[in-house]
Amino acid sequence: MAAGVAAWLPFARAAAIGWMPVASTPMPIPPQDKRKAQDGFIILNVSGTKFQTWRTTLERYPDTLLGSTERDFFFHEETSEYFFDRDPDIFRHILNFYRTGKLHYPRQECISAYDEELAFFGIIPEIIGDCCYEEYKDRRRENAERLQDDEEMDMSNDVTPVNLTFREYLWRAFENPHTSTLALVFYYVTGFFIAISVMANVVETVPCGTLPNRSKEVSCGERYALAFFCLDTACVMIFTVEYLLRLIAAPSRCKFMKSVMSVIDVVAIMPYYIGLVMTDNDQVSGAFVTLRVFRVFRIFKFSRHSAGLRILGYTLKSCASELGFLLFSLTMAIIIFATVMFYAEKGSTATKFTSIPAAFWYTIVTMTTLGF
Amino acid sequence: MDKLEEQTKFTKKELQVLYRGFKNECPCGVVNEENFKNIYSQFFPQGDSSMYAHFLFEAFDTNKNGSVSFEDFVFGLSIILRGTINDRLNWAFNLYDLNKDGCITKEEMLDIMKSIYDMMGKYTHPTMIDDAPREHVESFFQKMDQNRDGVVTIDEFIDSCKKDENIMQSMQLFDNVI
Repeated sequence: MAAGVAAWLPFARAAAIGWMPVASTPMPIPPQDKRKAQDGFIILNVSGTKFQTWRTTLERYPDTLLGSTERDFFFHEETSEYFFDRDPDIFRHILNFYRTGKLHYPRQECISAYDEELAFFGIIPEIIGDCCYEEYKDRRRENAERLQDDEEMDMSNDVTPVNLTFREYLWRAFENPHTSTLALVFYYVTGFFIAISVMANVVETVPCGTLPNRSKEVSCGERYALAFFCLDTACVMIFTVEYLLRLIAAPSRCKFMKSVMSVIDVVAIMPYYIGLVMTDNDQVSGAFVTLRVFRVFRIFKFSRHSAGLRILGYTLKSCASELGFLLFSLTMAIIIFATVMFYAEKGSTATKFTSIPAAFWYTIVTMTTLGF
Repeated sequence: MDKLEEQTKFTKKELQVLYRGFKNECPCGVVNEENFKNIYSQFFPQGDSSMYAHFLFEAFDTNKNGSVSFEDFVFGLSIILRGTINDRLNWAFNLYDLNKDGCITKEEMLDIMKSIYDMMGKYTHPTMIDDAPREHVESFFQKMDQNRDGVVTIDEFIDSCKKDENIMQSMQLFDNVI
């Protein structure tokens, strides 16, 4: 903004006439503009596309390449123009910055190419105008994340470095199953056992016909209790071994233990061990039954085997704030409407809405259009 | 532009530079008061220049249509920067005479003085005390009002300014501005 306003400097000085007769002391002499810049054209040849502008336009921003004497490095004597071997489409925006004082970010340009051009011409991206700043920041963040992911992928797809310690070898085998046959075998075996475990959990509850000395139908789990128990033990043993091996092989144990996959692993095998410890105790058998529910989390172990599941996880994580906001606004609406319903029916006696929380259920069911 | 060149005392080149600056700041070709105040406040960030900018706007807007076109702007500038001493004093008188009735009353002067003090902010010399504008107005009137009738007419103004060395000296400074 200051650049354009500088043209109004004579006006500001002229306005001083207003207070001159009133001043009690003579005015100080205004500083003489030492460099009475002779205003001429500058021709900028960017890869063949010629741009022309006044010299004073470029000199508005003396700390950039074009505004300072640094541009003389690019001066081409024969054609007396400044030649830059850069992208003309992006240069258009950079030149517009000098003209209008506002830097815009074109949506169709690649963010890294744009950043490079800005860096070359000595312009800091922070001055991008408000109209384009959001877009710029978003694209930059996306790009950074993508680059990070690519880096991680690249690092893991490296050519086999020799002289790995056993621990590093083990970790690589776990992370990239296709690097060695043993790893591949292990990968498929664990996958198979996860499937078996989940199916066993499901089949356990299917009614399986009656026991000889009982008339009630029993589930398969109760009929073949021993078989299922052995199956469960086998699966848990495999999972435990896998978890311990991963723990040993992890380059950073703390980081490994905090990672999502390891938490899922622990949650998957814990119920079994807790069950072993806590058998025949009626008081906690209720809690024990609940713990068995956690066995279903073994299905999430499949995400090591399926990139798609991982992508789903990332998507949820990256939309976490939006989803959280959705939840929050729904909660607000539920509370409002439950309150309204409660007070609306407060007068009548035969009402189910005995308190506001009692009205929550009704509100939730109605708002999600279930309506039972 | 030839017409402008005749009527003002600027050369073609100067007019070009002025016009480009003008149009850059106001792409639609005229300045309204909001814009004017904005531009002016960028030159005087240390104080509140809106009142003074308002008076200036009134002085530039000779046809009283609420906006300053490039012609108005350039006429005003030409008088201030290239006019004779008489012209400049005339223009200053016009600026001070808020209701354009031909004489400056104490109230008008007080308004102007307060706006100047506001604009200078903390940089007034000597440092501002609350009553300083009023005292300044008193001393101004003592100097300018020769027939002691409470108002300053255009002739009294020009006369007393011409007699004052400091003011004459300050007026010379305008010759080098552009």
